[in-house]
Amino acid sequence: MIKTLSGCSLLVAAFCTAFLSFSVPAAATVQIVSPTEFVQHLGDTALMSLTSKHLSRKTREERVRKILEDNFDVTAIGRFAIGPYWRTATDAQRADYMKLFEDLIVETYTNRFEAYSGQTLKVSGARASGRDDYIVESRVIQKDAAPIGLEWRVRKEDGHLRIVDVIVAGVSMSFTQRADFMSVIQNEGGLNGLIASLQKRHEESQRNGG
Amino acid sequence: MSKNAFRVISTALLLSLALSVGGCAKAQKPPVTATYLSQQVADPLEPMNRAIFGFNDVVDQALIEPLAKGYVALLPQFMRDAVRNFMRNLQAPVDVANDLLQGRFNNAGVATARFVINSTVGIAGLVDVAAKKDLKYKDEDFGQTLASWGVGNGFYLVLPIIGPSTLRDATGTFADAYADPVRMWSYNTHRYWVYYTREAIQGLDTRSRLLKPVDDMRKNSLDYYAAARSAYIQHRNAVIRTNAPAATAPASAPEQGLGSDHP
Repeated sequence: MIKTLSGCSLLVAAFCTAFLSFSVPAAATVQIVSPTEFVQHLGDTALMSLTSKHLSRKTREERVRKILEDNFDVTAIGRFAIGPYWRTATDAQRADYMKLFEDLIVETYTNRFEAYSGQTLKVSGARASGRDDYIVESRVIQKDAAPIGLEWRVRKEDGHLRIVDVIVAGVSMSFTQRADFMSVIQNEGGLNGLIASLQKRHEESQRNGG
Repeated sequence: MSKNAFRVISTALLLSLALSVGGCAKAQKPPVTATYLSQQVADPLEPMNRAIFGFNDVVDQALIEPLAKGYVALLPQFMRDAVRNFMRNLQAPVDVANDLLQGRFNNAGVATARFVINSTVGIAGLVDVAAKKDLKYKDEDFGQTLASWGVGNGFYLVLPIIGPSTLRDATGTFADAYADPVRMWSYNTHRYWVYYTREAIQGLDTRSRLLKPVDDMRKNSLDYYAAARSAYIQHRNAVIRTNAPAATAPASAPEQGLGSDHP
């Protein structure tokens, strides 16, 4: 009877580990590289610069933010997460939401990197998807657990490669986040309700982590 | 649960599923690269599902998660792998049956060979020797078989203790349990404890492999229920896409990665 659950669970299992291999700092100045090189470099740099146990919370957060801004299309990910509500949002709502969205991502990944150590990322290949996207396939090798397959949706924009999604065991972070946010929008009084929830989450994180 | 109760529940589920096939559960093959819309599921029972999900979460945090943490702390990785291999081997007849029902005879052959090799050379299934001979394990269940026949999710269901499911997958869960040789034997010989012990260990093994992801999702989502529902559906769709795609669909659908399907 537990069988179905176990299937479903593997998927979720990959979740947290998915995030551990996150980003590449300072790649902005690097010449155009292949999507596989881009992700490998990102993984190596992120794991090296973010998992050290000696980092202060503040330093780790600053590094995560830098890596995120250099290597991820945060605006595209943030817009996608609220779907049709982006179009009808006012300029003020957009600004508030985007700032809080980036804070949420930075805080989430800072927490993850605080908890991880000893992993390495191995990129195995890439395939084209759509007009501008590549899916880069990789594995996270862990010390005391089975390796986890990780896929990266990488997009070429203005000569730069940027990550727009991370997929673990068929579960897209962007899709999951959108389902999460849409539910909050529908149940908590629209986009302002979501912004209020994000604000509350941000304040809690500042109190606990900072 | 008595044998009769099983029969009643599985029959009821099969019946309701059969009724829904004509209506909401029309076959919908997810594209190779899924789109956001293709990963949605109807949730007409959301208030009830949320209540059960909340109950499961309380039981999990109070009992199951601590047990799973203890299990991981107590047993090293290779012993936990042996437990998983043993559990998978016990399930092999169910895997074979589902492969046959899907008409995937090659997979059925692989699963049968795995069962024979691992039960003998692999010391009653404790060592997955077959995987080293390129006979890789493939998780099969009746929910996937139904999907390969073109049955859709129906709607989302959260089962007590078992967790996220759908009308189709819950039917599959009950059908697999019904056809499970371990359950049949333990019920026929009135050694019910064998079946329930097996289920408990299997649940513990599964939960122990999900410690980090579940904790992560619980902490980092705003609406844990909505995030878990989305993740469950996406994962099941991916498993079905690789293991049991509907026979009528083209072998490889064109990628759909354009426009607003992705960020």
